[in-house]
Amino acid sequence: MSDVILRSENLCKRFGITTAVNDVSLEFEKGEIHGLIGENGSGKSTFCSTLCGIYPVTSGRFLLEEKELRARSQVEANRRGVSIIVQEMGTLPGLTVAENIFLGEEDKFMRGIVKNTGAMNREAQRLLDGYGFKRIIASKMIDNYSFEDRKLIEIVKATYFNPKILVVDETTTALSRSGREELFKVMDRIKSGGNTVIFISHDLDEVIDHTDRISVLRDGGLVDTVKSSEASAGELKLLMVGRELTNRYYRTDYDQSVSDEVVLAVDNVSVPGEMQNVSFRLHKGEILGIGGLSECGMHETGKAIFGASYGRSGSVTLKGGYSVKSIPGAIRHGVAYASKDRDNESVIVADSIRDNICLPSLDDMSKHALLNNRKLDGFARKNAELMSVKMTGIDQYVSALSGGNKQKVVISRWLGKDSDILVLDSPTRGIDVKVKADIYALMSELKERGKSIIMISEELQELLGMSDRILIMKDGRINGEFMRNRNLGERDLITKMV
Amino acid sequence: MTLFFWVSFRLLSPSNFGSSRQMVDYLQTSIQYAVGGCGLYFIVVMGLFDFSVGANIVLSALVGVLLSRHFGYWGLILGCLLCGTLIGSFNGLLYSRLRIPSMIVTVGLMLILESVANYAVTLDKAGFPGKLSSGNILAFGRAPWNYICAGLAFLLMFFLLRSTKIGTYCNAIGSDELIAKNMGVNVEHYKFIGFVLLHFFVGIMALLSVSYGRGMLAVTGMASMDRNFKPLMGTFFGVAFKKYGYPVPAIVIGEFIIVMIFNGLVALNVPTTINDFVTGAVLLIIVTLTNRGRKGSVVK
Repeated sequence: MSDVILRSENLCKRFGITTAVNDVSLEFEKGEIHGLIGENGSGKSTFCSTLCGIYPVTSGRFLLEEKELRARSQVEANRRGVSIIVQEMGTLPGLTVAENIFLGEEDKFMRGIVKNTGAMNREAQRLLDGYGFKRIIASKMIDNYSFEDRKLIEIVKATYFNPKILVVDETTTALSRSGREELFKVMDRIKSGGNTVIFISHDLDEVIDHTDRISVLRDGGLVDTVKSSEASAGELKLLMVGRELTNRYYRTDYDQSVSDEVVLAVDNVSVPGEMQNVSFRLHKGEILGIGGLSECGMHETGKAIFGASYGRSGSVTLKGGYSVKSIPGAIRHGVAYASKDRDNESVIVADSIRDNICLPSLDDMSKHALLNNRKLDGFARKNAELMSVKMTGIDQYVSALSGGNKQKVVISRWLGKDSDILVLDSPTRGIDVKVKADIYALMSELKERGKSIIMISEELQELLGMSDRILIMKDGRINGEFMRNRNLGERDLITKMV
Repeated sequence: MTLFFWVSFRLLSPSNFGSSRQMVDYLQTSIQYAVGGCGLYFIVVMGLFDFSVGANIVLSALVGVLLSRHFGYWGLILGCLLCGTLIGSFNGLLYSRLRIPSMIVTVGLMLILESVANYAVTLDKAGFPGKLSSGNILAFGRAPWNYICAGLAFLLMFFLLRSTKIGTYCNAIGSDELIAKNMGVNVEHYKFIGFVLLHFFVGIMALLSVSYGRGMLAVTGMASMDRNFKPLMGTFFGVAFKKYGYPVPAIVIGEFIIVMIFNGLVALNVPTTINDFVTGAVLLIIVTLTNRGRKGSVVK
């Protein structure tokens, strides 16, 4: 009999035009801990989410013990023996610990329509005690517990029924050393019971130490599967991100000097839990790249510059001495920001292209507090056409646009505002090659016009290809600085990232 | 908190506020609102709202009165409860089928229900329209039957929240609808159930209201909205205190405090506008202090 417990066959998952998982065929064996690694956006979490019923599969299939598995919800996946501990918070406030553990599984404690809460609490407490989490009281509201304790509760929820497949998706970052040890014990227990753990983590040493085999994903596709005992962190890093810089749409100049004129000074900026003592200067006409792993603090840096962080300390000072402390102040003084989370933080999806483009410029276009619709239409049309937004008209709702065109709307908005400093967080995330090329061309043009750009990106090629200077962040601090240089490679950046 | 307000108003107005007789009156008034507050909890905790509660109270009470002409108490009780529950089912069905926000659906329904109530009054030929004529049929307007009726409603609410899946699922949907869906919760079904339960409790509130007032007047022009807000205040207390346990006591005590403040200010001869101001401010302060959101969290 085969040792393979789970198999994916030509699995694909698309979100609109973006392919998150591309034709992945993978095998997981009984009684193994299988590491799954890759850059952010490489498709690891999406692959596992389709396995666990969080997203439907676009094409291809999973076979669990040679029977097709097509779960439509986590509970359905649980019933087939597949469970997941997610990266984000997976418990619900407003419910007790026991209610969280048995959410969707209350029928075990039902007699007719009556739920035996006492029995549910007792069973949950027995499980918690069995895992060694005696300090957690099953009948208490989950709101009373810390983030780490809630992760431990999730571990119990995901494993108490002894799943055939357990997915641990970037959970260790939420746990302290002792919490991690508890998790590893649970993983070992599942493995020794002949079942399988799929372990996702960015900590390569942790992956090598605690897995039997490791599969590497890149750009949604499978790169390779290696034995952990024969792998080294260096080799894995190369497999994860080691691509040649072959695309032709990046800047080709390497000898352009950047003005000495400082347009933005960031001094000792800290945001609790996100970034610490970050300081740098941005010059006129400079493209400054900021890179690192997703949780390194670079995304918060963009928000902090724009005045959008909570609890920020330190100073962000513009040329002329203005100190940025709030979003309206930043916008008034020529700072623009495009968030990584495009749909939630950058565009108003349930509104027209016109309104999205005009929003920050309404004050500039109003006369005695009155708006001239013809003027707004002209303004929106001009800026949308400048960015070649594919649309039926400026009254089209943004919700109907592709990711790339939404991004063009965001950039059109700030072009219309004539901002001098653009903070672009993941400007090409989830968009196709053609739009990418358009955005890069626009960045080059803005640079020529003396505009300054901070480009935050998880894409190393993009950083190398477009930046005059690159800052690499790690654990909330700047860990390395590189000037634009023909010989600079991804390996140089990676050494400062991981 | 209850003691604080009692002592404060008692000191300020010893002759007009806070005697044992008056406290019993306040309690009797507050329990009818608390019953409605229990019903509203099911949908407010899921992030929904229903503007047709007041209109349903009026219509259910009038249907109860009409049926009481022929079937006495059974007609009154069943008329209120069945009419209330049927309207709840209709609201839930429309909300889930039309897929438009609950506020919009229920404003439309409020107008329709007010019109139907006005028509129902014209059918009442047996006595003064909308008035409970027989003295024998007013038992739910006084002790002990009002306490028994409200007490049973509170017990039912406690049972539903503690001993059925409904309470857990309503809270789960309110916390994060997507996660709840992923955990296998049939979100649309439980939203429908929420509306049905809300209006079942509204039916009980209609029974108490019509008995307290010895009848019910049909209104038009959204005037029934006025009846939404007192039960809603209790619901806010329930939602604010749910993290400390089951919300029924918070709803009952919250309504009692609101009624006590209202009557305390009346005892002090405070004009109605100031009375409303103080009542509203106290509600805001209590709910804000007990329900502080995380910094940066989106509050709608």
